[in-house]
Amino acid sequence: MKTLLKYLHLTGLMMRNCFVRELQFKANFVVRFFTELMWLVMQFIYIQVMYGQTGQIAGWNKWEMIVLMGTNYVIAQLFEALFYDNCVRLTDQIRQGDLDFNLIKPINTQFLVSLRYTDYASIVNSSVGLAVILFALGKLGIGVSLGGALLFGALVLNSVLIYYSILFILSVWTFWIGRSNNLMELYWQFGQFSRYPGDIYPWLLRKLLWTLIPMLVVSNVPAGLLIHKLQNGWIFYGFALGAGFLAFTVWIWQKGLQRYRSASS
Amino acid sequence: MIAATKTSANSAFHKYWVILSTRTQEDMAYRANYVFGAIFRFLPLVTMIFLWWAVYNGRKESGASPLIGGMTYEDMVVYNTLMYVARGFSSVPGTMSDISKDIKDGLLNRYLIKPINYLWYQVMYRLAHKLVFWYIALLTFPPIFLLMRNYFSHWPTLWEWAVFVVSLFIAFSIGMLFCSMVGMLAFWFLEISGFLFVVMMLEFFMSGQLIPLNILPVYLHRFLFYAPFGYEGYWPCMILMGKVPQDQLVPVLLVGFLWVAVFYGLSRWMWNMGLKRYSAVGG
Repeated sequence: MKTLLKYLHLTGLMMRNCFVRELQFKANFVVRFFTELMWLVMQFIYIQVMYGQTGQIAGWNKWEMIVLMGTNYVIAQLFEALFYDNCVRLTDQIRQGDLDFNLIKPINTQFLVSLRYTDYASIVNSSVGLAVILFALGKLGIGVSLGGALLFGALVLNSVLIYYSILFILSVWTFWIGRSNNLMELYWQFGQFSRYPGDIYPWLLRKLLWTLIPMLVVSNVPAGLLIHKLQNGWIFYGFALGAGFLAFTVWIWQKGLQRYRSASS
Repeated sequence: MIAATKTSANSAFHKYWVILSTRTQEDMAYRANYVFGAIFRFLPLVTMIFLWWAVYNGRKESGASPLIGGMTYEDMVVYNTLMYVARGFSSVPGTMSDISKDIKDGLLNRYLIKPINYLWYQVMYRLAHKLVFWYIALLTFPPIFLLMRNYFSHWPTLWEWAVFVVSLFIAFSIGMLFCSMVGMLAFWFLEISGFLFVVMMLEFFMSGQLIPLNILPVYLHRFLFYAPFGYEGYWPCMILMGKVPQDQLVPVLLVGFLWVAVFYGLSRWMWNMGLKRYSAVGG
């Protein structure tokens, strides 16, 4: 309990530190907000054009697809807010041998390198995604109970952690291959798969996206909960998978550290 | 006099040739990166293909026509595949940000004191990048096209091939000139990195990479047909697919050349105006 409080306190300190930094660049904040908003508008146009051609895609109507789009956006933004920059920094630190300063601090290093920097613009942006979801649910005439909202929140958090786990594993891979220029590119490329309903993919690819590269677990499970397109079993599966991935990051981090050679002399 | 002009023309050619070959060699050293990129580049194509399949399937089930904007599902797959070829010419990644960075950080100085034209230097730099890109792509593209061979229903005529090749030249020119101009905005606005992202997104949309321009709402596509961005993706694809009527092939090219000329003039003008404002910050 005491340890937990200490780590919560540390998280608060790091986030406050980043908030102060962020306040120095207010214009950047506004620009980021509008660029991300435009990205959302473009996706909306895309969906609009697609549904101009057909009433349903793999059994999903337009507003259900927009719930999926919004959910995916919230998850991606929260992931980028908390972990994305940290993962990118981590690969550089491993490659250049700059990890030493983190290793000597008397706290869990994985915790420190994963949560050190917070991107506040992305947190604000995620609320736009939430507004999109609520609007689409209104169009569908679907209400959400308090319990449903809490479960949705937990699933979103779970998805953020799955994203984190995948990216963290890719970053830690740097210990073995020594460089990682394109690894982060994978995040953007794999992210594509989570934007659409799983049923559009053929059997083998779908199975892969539900298990090894769980891009469908990330988006389809929380969105499916909201629009009642999900059997209960998938919720348990989602949480179990999240826990499994997270446990794997701890293991591979320890393995990777054993290969760390610090800065070249 | 004539001889002197000739020599200087030769040495100018030689100068840029050296830049091109050095840059190519440099890029070749990092070809593993290109191979990696070349493989994962095709992931979005996978989602595109299955999404369009679901759309066409939805239409079939509701009894609607199997054509969208005059294109069958097979055409749509071919369009998205050919887009990789078109973008292989028109995309010049890093140009906007490199130029704006050179201006912002005062790194331009080191080019200004050399007897070279900075913009031509950038062209050579990107051309080298494209050469290495296609060197790798010659290994990765053929299997993809072979895999998709059944989707191709139209074998282009010799004339269409010729127009296609010219359109690729326009694609590179417009992509290169446009990115240079956006990068040069840094002469006037020192911090444009956030803006660059917006521009790239608009380019992505208006070049027809996201959706073929002809299936966009009428008011949008009427405008986008005459805009320069279609030449970075939409037009080369449609030309090779035989979707551009024969009598429109030349007009399409002419509008393209017009845009190249306009962009060339504009970029020269921006460069001259910009240099007057350039203060070599951080020098």
